[in-house]
Amino acid sequence: MTTSPEKLLAERRQRILDAYDMKVPDRVPITLNFSYMLARLGGVTKQELHDNPDKAQELLEKWALYYQPDAAFGIGTFGTHMPSVILGDRQTKWPGYGLGPDQPFQFVEGEFMKAEEYDEFIEDPSDFTLRKFVPRIYSALEGFADLPVLTSFLRGYGGLAGVAVLNKPSLRSALEALLKVADWYAQSATRTAEYARRMEALGFPVDVRVFGATTLAPFDLLADNLRGMRGVFLDMYRCPDKLLAAQEKIRRFSVEQVIQTTSATGRKLIFIPLHRGSDGFMSIEQFETFYWPQLKALMLDLIKAGLKPYPFYEGVWDQRLEYLRELPKGKTIGMFQSSNMFKVKEIVGDVMTIVGGFPVSLLEGGSHEQVREYTRKMCKALGKNGGFIMSASVALDECNPELVKVWVDATKEYGTAV
Amino acid sequence: MDKKLVDAIADLREAEALKLVKEMLAGGSDPAAILEECREATVIVGERFQEGKYFLPDLVYVGEIMTQISSEVKPYLRTSGADGKKGGKVLIGTVKGDIHDIGKNIVTFMLEVNGFDVLDIGVDVPPETFVEHIKSFKPQVVGLSGLLTVAHTTMKETVAAIKEAGLRDEVKIMVGGGSVDEHIRAFAGADAYGPDAVAAVTIAKQWTGVK
Repeated sequence: MTTSPEKLLAERRQRILDAYDMKVPDRVPITLNFSYMLARLGGVTKQELHDNPDKAQELLEKWALYYQPDAAFGIGTFGTHMPSVILGDRQTKWPGYGLGPDQPFQFVEGEFMKAEEYDEFIEDPSDFTLRKFVPRIYSALEGFADLPVLTSFLRGYGGLAGVAVLNKPSLRSALEALLKVADWYAQSATRTAEYARRMEALGFPVDVRVFGATTLAPFDLLADNLRGMRGVFLDMYRCPDKLLAAQEKIRRFSVEQVIQTTSATGRKLIFIPLHRGSDGFMSIEQFETFYWPQLKALMLDLIKAGLKPYPFYEGVWDQRLEYLRELPKGKTIGMFQSSNMFKVKEIVGDVMTIVGGFPVSLLEGGSHEQVREYTRKMCKALGKNGGFIMSASVALDECNPELVKVWVDATKEYGTAV
Repeated sequence: MDKKLVDAIADLREAEALKLVKEMLAGGSDPAAILEECREATVIVGERFQEGKYFLPDLVYVGEIMTQISSEVKPYLRTSGADGKKGGKVLIGTVKGDIHDIGKNIVTFMLEVNGFDVLDIGVDVPPETFVEHIKSFKPQVVGLSGLLTVAHTTMKETVAAIKEAGLRDEVKIMVGGGSVDEHIRAFAGADAYGPDAVAAVTIAKQWTGVK
């Protein structure tokens, strides 16, 4: 007995959408975020997956068909290397580009805004971004430091002479590099659409987890991209008012950027990977002052604009779950990494759809029996009353292929009639 | 003895601590005594971290205060005294393939304030480098850190390399960081897993018999 791909596609999409709507699906849905595991499965390097997207897609299709999850994703989740390579990005390292061919993508945090520059940033974030931040993080765009203040255009024809600066070789090459990146994204968009069509033809819904935009908690944007973790922690003591004022600016332009991006595509899910708010980084008091109010306001703004925030609560949020109850019911999807998933269900199960949390450590080093038993426990506890999608704590990168099969099959077995 | 400096540092009053140090140095205080007060303050900070009163921002901040005090004191120091490390020796590093260092740095800090002699060999450390340093530094404890899942595999390779070099019985190995847990401890063949820096200290104390 075989079910047609069309029918499978419809069933799987409905299963996931039911979970998003906090309803009880016919079975607990399971999604596989293969990511670099495809390299292991295909006997190629991680670099090859990035360099040869057709190969990566072939592997994704092959292994999605083998495991038969409700949805499957490859390495696209965190973006791809070419734009970074073209621009000489100092914030990322990719397999084969700054790293060995089999090392995974890594983000390199740095201090790209000095503490003394807060006032300048708060006064005019756009100008700071264009003429300070961009030349600092992209070697190919160093010429941007020489751009005239953009408000020179306010003088109309009288301000046009400033454009002459574009004749500088450093600016010419910077503009060329940006156009190259634009070309690359145009090709990539065509390819991505074709890949999505192919996945759906095989019965795997893609639209259920294509993000309309990705944004960051205001604190994280400062910590990850501008001040670095050390810098932002010192700012909490030395210039807390400026840190808060900058966050307010960041929240406003982040919302604006997300709305602009999504209005073109109509995609509603907004991915927000959360970093420094998890247990252990800062105290509850610091969290209440510097992290949560700004993140919550950001999410409420997005919800008001008709969008659905999809935060990834990275790390452990066990001591902070009560705060998540302040979010409006059914308006967000919470993806979790290493929190106590049973506690997550208990505390926020009626507030949001819960995704993830199956420990990859079990899928790397566990036994068949352990994997089955934990799957049973999770399906029973988290699947109750619906609103749950089985997924691993992080990407499957290093998982044991055999154990992944055990996990998918066990979810199908125990995820029915929970 | 007046503990004003100890309190100022431990309570993270940066400006006051620096002012006190400058006054003490100008007044002819023994620079070694100032450093001893710094050490006392770090122990208090370590305790507050252990009790869940202090978190990473506080540790980072006290580190910054200490760095400034050290540079004030340095010109006054004629000889560097014995460092008086009484604990055991711990070799620590982030394993190959992973460049994350926050967790490792916190563990290093906590071990040091608890009197351990810690050699931190950095990030993205290949198994053979761990082996070389075990031979030269002769630690009782080896700490393997990693945030990414790729680190699980390289932790296993590192433990295997230590075994192959015939050094497995010489050291106890603890693992931690990111998505590491008891399953990964077993998978890698390490002796213990700790969820945080406080656990790392407890484990290292047990193994070295330090109280």
